[in-house]
Amino acid sequence: QGGGSAVIDMENMDDTSGSSFEDMGEMHQRMKEEEEEEVEGDAAAAEEEDGEFLGMKGLQGQLGRQVADQMWQVGKRQASRAFSLYANIDILRPYFDVEPIQVRARLLESMIPVKMINFPQKIAGELYGPLMLVFTLVAILLHGMKTSDTIIREGTLMGTAIGTCFGYWLGVSSFIYFLAYLCNAQITMVQMLSLLGYGLFGHCITLFVTYNIHFHSLFYIFWLGVGGLSTLRMVAVLVSRTVGHTQRLILCGTLAALHMLFLLYLHFAYHKVVEGILDTLEGPNMPPFQRVARDIPVVSNAVLNATAKAIALTL
Amino acid sequence: LLAELGINFEHIWQKTLTVLNPLKPADGTIMNETDLTGPVVFCLALGASLLMAGKVHFGYVYGMSAIGCLAMHALLNLMSTSGVSHGCVASVLGYCLLPMVILSSSAVFFSLQGTLGTLLALFVIGWCSLSASKIFTSALAMEGQQLLIAYPCALLYGLFALLTVF
Repeated sequence: QGGGSAVIDMENMDDTSGSSFEDMGEMHQRMKEEEEEEVEGDAAAAEEEDGEFLGMKGLQGQLGRQVADQMWQVGKRQASRAFSLYANIDILRPYFDVEPIQVRARLLESMIPVKMINFPQKIAGELYGPLMLVFTLVAILLHGMKTSDTIIREGTLMGTAIGTCFGYWLGVSSFIYFLAYLCNAQITMVQMLSLLGYGLFGHCITLFVTYNIHFHSLFYIFWLGVGGLSTLRMVAVLVSRTVGHTQRLILCGTLAALHMLFLLYLHFAYHKVVEGILDTLEGPNMPPFQRVARDIPVVSNAVLNATAKAIALTL
Repeated sequence: LLAELGINFEHIWQKTLTVLNPLKPADGTIMNETDLTGPVVFCLALGASLLMAGKVHFGYVYGMSAIGCLAMHALLNLMSTSGVSHGCVASVLGYCLLPMVILSSSAVFFSLQGTLGTLLALFVIGWCSLSASKIFTSALAMEGQQLLIAYPCALLYGLFALLTVF
């Protein structure tokens, strides 16, 4: 190349074999070329079979149709391959192989803290119980929201309930699993999902009782008692599987805090609306409470104002 | 014409009787043919009786049955040794919706939001889920796991009951 050239020839730059970006680009290009060869090869083969029609129907129309057809086939094959790889539900089959007796025993055990923390406690890697408990929590939340006439402005009741419960189960399990990985605890992801899922049994009982019987003191007793027992059980199992005081403290402190705070949140997020409505009904000049469907915006102004005021006061 | 469409009134009546009597043992072969006429009729009847009670919830009924069928299909495939098809699951769940239609018809005459309504709703949920789990366990040969199948069915029918009661 000439000495006076102002163009920099990138091909002669230093060796960039360590750069993954270029390698990926190269690989991608090579894959695309292979694909195109395959497509052209198939198209050519099909073309040869239909060679005698080409002259009559027009070269471009026939060729275009063949190429489009081949592209569709290739795309479909790739999509089905990806689908069968990621959506293979049979991977989860062993985790659903349970008997009713086992599920009942595990539910009861989830409320009993273990005493032996010196050797690792066994955790059943099962997903049926936890999944059913999460769905039960969703149902209890929905029932609580319906009985307290909660109005969700952006979203739906069902979406909120499912998002909250599944978000907690999957999100907190992943987070604690990550912390467990940092703290060198002996626990797998499925075991963590199972442990936290069964820990929601206490939440289900507490919310089922306190959504129907509205006493604050009763809720606090259940929160400490029932919530505390299920948290203690989870903490004891984790302690038995972790070595080192600091690690145990970090892991178990985080889990206990998140678990107890979640129960507190679930109670108060859907409870204050009940208080608002109860206060409204006790006023002397209030019209009788009208039963309105959720998506009809015509509500009694007094009820609406009183509820908004109650919510603003509690916030 | 009905024979051509595959609508067999005798079979529909047999399956309806099986649902209405949850304590009688079910014949495992009745679900071999996937019949969606009965379920569709029952879903429309549910929507119509909700309409008579002043609630227009056809979309909710449709959405909840679709998602419920998908979820139950996934769960049953995971729990049973022999697989099950979407049509079979939809058929069974649709037939067992009949007691829910009875509940929502009674909602036309009196409000279900009191203690009596709650007890009636719980009874009907139990009835539906017992029938559905009985048919599933006999069709898929899953003895001993009837309670494990009844519970998710109860959750699904509980959602329908929430729709009916509130």
